[in-house]
Amino acid sequence: MSITTSFPAELITKYGLAGPRYTSYPTALQFHEGFDAEAYRRHVRYSNDDLIPRPLSLYVHLPFCKELCYYCACNKKVTRNTQLAELYLEHLDKEIEMQGKLFDRDRQVIQLHFGGGTPTYYDDIQLRHIVEKLSANFLLSRSASREFSIEIDPRTVDEVRIAHLADIGFNRVSMGIQDFDPAVQKAVNRVQDEGKTLALINAARKSGFNSVSVDLIYGLPLQTAKSFEKTIDSVLTVRPDRLSVYNYAHLPHLFRAQRMITSEQVPAPEVRLQLLASTITKLVDAGYVYIGMDHFALPDDELSIAMENGTLQRNFQGYSTCRETDLVGMGVSAIGKVGNSFVQNLKDIRDWQAAIDIGELPVWRGLSLSGEDRLRRGVISAIMCQGFVRFSEFEQKYGIDFNDHFALELKSLKPLEEDGLIELSEGSIEVTPTGLLLLRAIAMKFDEYLINDLQGKSYSKVI
Amino acid sequence: MSSDIQQKPYFPERIQVACSQCTLGDLCLPRSLDAAGVEQFEHIVNKSRPIQPGEHIFRAGDKFQSIAAVRAGCFKSYVIDKNGEEQVLGFYLPGEIIGFDAIHEKTHKANVVALDTSSVCGLSFESVTDMARQLPKLQEELFRVMSLHISELEASAADLSAEERIASLLCSLSKRFASRGYSAKEFNLSMSRRDIASNLRLATETISRVLARFQSAGIIRVNRKKVAILDSDKLKELARRDTC
Repeated sequence: MSITTSFPAELITKYGLAGPRYTSYPTALQFHEGFDAEAYRRHVRYSNDDLIPRPLSLYVHLPFCKELCYYCACNKKVTRNTQLAELYLEHLDKEIEMQGKLFDRDRQVIQLHFGGGTPTYYDDIQLRHIVEKLSANFLLSRSASREFSIEIDPRTVDEVRIAHLADIGFNRVSMGIQDFDPAVQKAVNRVQDEGKTLALINAARKSGFNSVSVDLIYGLPLQTAKSFEKTIDSVLTVRPDRLSVYNYAHLPHLFRAQRMITSEQVPAPEVRLQLLASTITKLVDAGYVYIGMDHFALPDDELSIAMENGTLQRNFQGYSTCRETDLVGMGVSAIGKVGNSFVQNLKDIRDWQAAIDIGELPVWRGLSLSGEDRLRRGVISAIMCQGFVRFSEFEQKYGIDFNDHFALELKSLKPLEEDGLIELSEGSIEVTPTGLLLLRAIAMKFDEYLINDLQGKSYSKVI
Repeated sequence: MSSDIQQKPYFPERIQVACSQCTLGDLCLPRSLDAAGVEQFEHIVNKSRPIQPGEHIFRAGDKFQSIAAVRAGCFKSYVIDKNGEEQVLGFYLPGEIIGFDAIHEKTHKANVVALDTSSVCGLSFESVTDMARQLPKLQEELFRVMSLHISELEASAADLSAEERIASLLCSLSKRFASRGYSAKEFNLSMSRRDIASNLRLATETISRVLARFQSAGIIRVNRKKVAILDSDKLKELARRDTC
């Protein structure tokens, strides 16, 4: 799969409807409170019983921010009161202990991710403390191939801190840039210096980080195709290994922070399309591989290689090359994935702390996947990660006749085939280069919950 | 674990069982009896209700009255050692007989628990011995089954490496599944890796490490608790015993 010459603007407008991002299937909308701490413990027990238990990924959610970025839709807490963050850390310690006890100690942690909020809201001593706590309660891999990553807000770190983070054990960094244009930065309340940010990326390389990833956002207020091109050109001078270019979804009725953004300043749909088109063209011209959804990588990056080999995986951070892991989510609102289940922690900091105070796992809700869920998850993952679905693979694994089982879904794909997003045959679905830009629209056809509930929910726009 | 100790015995009702219709006819005790013998045997068999995973059919110390033939599912037998650790003695598949260890002292030596939704046929041992006096073929079969047990135990007591033990277990299970009409090449294990480790007297992580090694050598493929044997010759060679 690769991006072709012409940019299919009219198709993107046509399919630019609401849709989930499928970082999980079923999506978090299906999680329910009937799935409790006991259900979670049971799934963990099953997973420990596997003949060869999956290795572990850990996700640690650190929700505090010093300032509010107006575009943000994450679960975060803006405060300068560091006592709150201290209290949070004490509770995190206890959750790490509780979670660590559930998992057999021979299960290696090959992936670790600190996300936020702003993980670097905490100082290096505090971050080191968290990693040490994890290391005391889980078996952290010592292999060079481990992926230990942290999201960095460039405004909170300097070159010395970058070196400390490497010393603590992180070997991957993802740097939030969003946009370098001063007017845009001001409109979203995130002013950061271009030169300093680029210097930090170079410092990360010098400190031994294997991989530097950069986050950009298009569709922000006051952005123009021209101004955003400048940002991209600037980022390309330091050639990050990976780039995530997210679409800003303006949903002020859902996300309070976004009410600070003047709706009139948000680019019109046709400007958004221009932004996307020029971004893709620029990155592909600069030698980046389009992985799918919002993600780009250099050709020698593991993501590009995994895409070539068909071993790409979808996870909550986007795409990953790891073999399948069980994911342990820790911290407020964190999502985990163990065996055939998803679990999510309480999303309010006080509730999360209260559960931990009484010695209970702070589980809010979750989901046990049915056989049908697993089948559809497999199909959706094949669309999002491999770009093709081979029916025989699913027929063998799930004992179904694909054409029969998915008769309605395949019928609903016909218009997408006519529009050139996919090629359908007796035994396969192939995503075309055009379809690669509209993976969500294709995957949605297999989302049973969406099919059952076509009354349009508030998803972010596909593009 | 002690909550269900007070439970009623599993074989209270006399549900008439038709051994002649049973799919395990070729494996179970009456397999060598003629039609008249089978009919006679059916009168001493009690069939149990479904047994849920985690339910016990025997507890160590229970008075010995019955032996049990597994009809469906899977059981493990275990004892608790002086450190309070569970030591798994063995696994039982459909057609296999549980409880012979209790004959000697008239009490059950081991706890026996279902690993899957299972069912068993209960056999009053008194009735079985009475009948064995009248039906020499049944007596022969009893001796054969006990002898098989003893030889299995002796073989597993040998000084074997972790690879040999694990390969042996896989070979043995493959053979046992095959004789029950299931696939010899691909089966789902009801036991956890912890149970297997305890049974083979290996560390839990050793089970996973060795299975992973077999997998990367292309001998087996493992998915959660499902095992597919890809190279049975190689597996037999590794097992170095005639369980295969």
